[in-house]
Amino acid sequence: MSDPIGGVPYYILEFGDELVYFTPYTITLFLLALTFTVLVIISRPERQMDIAFGGDAYGTKEISLTELQFRRFMAIACGLASMGAMVTGDIFNFTLFTAMVGITNVGIVAAVKSHHVQDAAFQYGLVALCATVPLFGGAAVYAASTGSLSMIELMKGTLPAVPLIAKALLVIGVVGEGMAPFYAAKAEMFRAPGAPYVIMCSLSSLLIFLRVVEVVMLG
Amino acid sequence: MTMWGQYSYGLLVVMVAAIIAFFALAREYDDFHKFLLLDLIEIPSLGVIALLGTDLAEALVLPGLTVGIAEQLALSQIYCVKQGIKERPVSRLNIEVVAIGDAPLIISIFLVVYGILLSGFTGGGVAGLGLVYFFASRGYKENLNMLEMASGISWALWIFAFFCFMFLPDYWFIALMCAAVGIVLKVTVKMSLVGTMWGENRE
Amino acid sequence: MIIRKISHVLCEYRNIMPLFAGACALLFLAGILLLPIPYAEHQLYPKYIDRNSTLDPYDRGGPPFVQVTIGSQYPENSPSAGLVTTYLTPFSLFLSKTTLHLGTTIVAHPGGILDEILYNTRGLDTVVEPTILFIAFAIASYLYRKG
Repeated sequence: MSDPIGGVPYYILEFGDELVYFTPYTITLFLLALTFTVLVIISRPERQMDIAFGGDAYGTKEISLTELQFRRFMAIACGLASMGAMVTGDIFNFTLFTAMVGITNVGIVAAVKSHHVQDAAFQYGLVALCATVPLFGGAAVYAASTGSLSMIELMKGTLPAVPLIAKALLVIGVVGEGMAPFYAAKAEMFRAPGAPYVIMCSLSSLLIFLRVVEVVMLG
Repeated sequence: MTMWGQYSYGLLVVMVAAIIAFFALAREYDDFHKFLLLDLIEIPSLGVIALLGTDLAEALVLPGLTVGIAEQLALSQIYCVKQGIKERPVSRLNIEVVAIGDAPLIISIFLVVYGILLSGFTGGGVAGLGLVYFFASRGYKENLNMLEMASGISWALWIFAFFCFMFLPDYWFIALMCAAVGIVLKVTVKMSLVGTMWGENRE
Repeated sequence: MIIRKISHVLCEYRNIMPLFAGACALLFLAGILLLPIPYAEHQLYPKYIDRNSTLDPYDRGGPPFVQVTIGSQYPENSPSAGLVTTYLTPFSLFLSKTTLHLGTTIVAHPGGILDEILYNTRGLDTVVEPTILFIAFAIASYLYRKG
């Protein structure tokens, strides 16, 4: 463990074969995810304004309380999943947390009652489902070619080298699960009121991208 | 230069299957067919995991499979809402020989009891199948809240078992029993909920 | 402008799915070209099959309540590992002594190497996995009830 990518782990929490470790890099990402989850819990959602062009007419959209409660639940679950993905020290566990981020992102969006939004959520859900194939495939090739799934073992550099294809599969899987921000500029997916919850989508995707960079540089 | 071992040959076959499946998916434009194709695409993914060939592979296939099924469950519901499919008439299970009231009940009770005896993953599946059969053949209006509560309790039981294994390894037996009961409850509840979804709106 | 054209294709959300599937297909094609992938000698949880055992494909390697060695990554983190592997319920113990076929259904009973991995040594995976199922179910039932 001479020169690990994310710094020397401060603390390793042991759950059997799966270690959770905190390096300077992962702890930063973890705190970011934690902060945003707390923000989601305490913040009050915004109401969306509709303004008609060429006139003075405007109004707020009415959103039912249950919808907001459901979306808040999904956003909190998304935050917890991102926190898990940031600190886990096991390749397969990381892929599971990433899949969970993907499905909570679908949930945040799918709760909105609008045909456009539902359609976008369905398309994004298809991509997320599709992405589990390279994601789990990549983790399995990691296990087969190195004989271990632990990132701590990969850090030590004593295991056989990880094949390039395993890393590529892992990265494309994470890209597929965190596809949401690529629609951020496009209103379809976010033609939905309730600001803090939608931001959770983007943030969680950003965080899993940042983490997968560290993961593929380990082995 | 590494040698071509059995593992590489197996991987070759699975990768060819994956390419065919993804190619089909890339060319498909109908939403529903895309959804069906994705079901097929899950199989090469399980194939890659299974090629590990150790006990670990079997333990990784289960979460892999569950995640795929879970996402499909959510997506199929999104699809129904998106397409505005509300009335989903399911024709009553057609049992002609025996009295319609009693036979499903007896078969369901048998399956549930057998499932509870088995316990674990398979047991949950069998018991759940019994309840699915019961609800599907009866048009039963079930209180969804009860089932959801049972599902939550089983989840909590499982988490308790996990912490027991991790921090109190001496009490592994209690943890094992909690996890086994938790999984029976969980799988049974999930499958019976599918049964109630089919069962409603039929009368 | 080529970039404008690309971004025009990308911004239509219906195009994302075929593009992603195409990218996956290309990646798997690249995977075939890179193929001979070495299979590591030392694997976790290696599988041994003893055809003469009554618990055939899932022989756990010992009587109940006797700890066996399993090939986990960090044996020191799971001091009780190996006990779940050998455990059989009294009913299954009876079946395993009287029939030759319990091994084919052994995964249905509490205990065994799969339960050892799923609940004990890699328990965190199994905690995340029902959570995903829970979330998916919450989405489906919310949409179903809202209709």
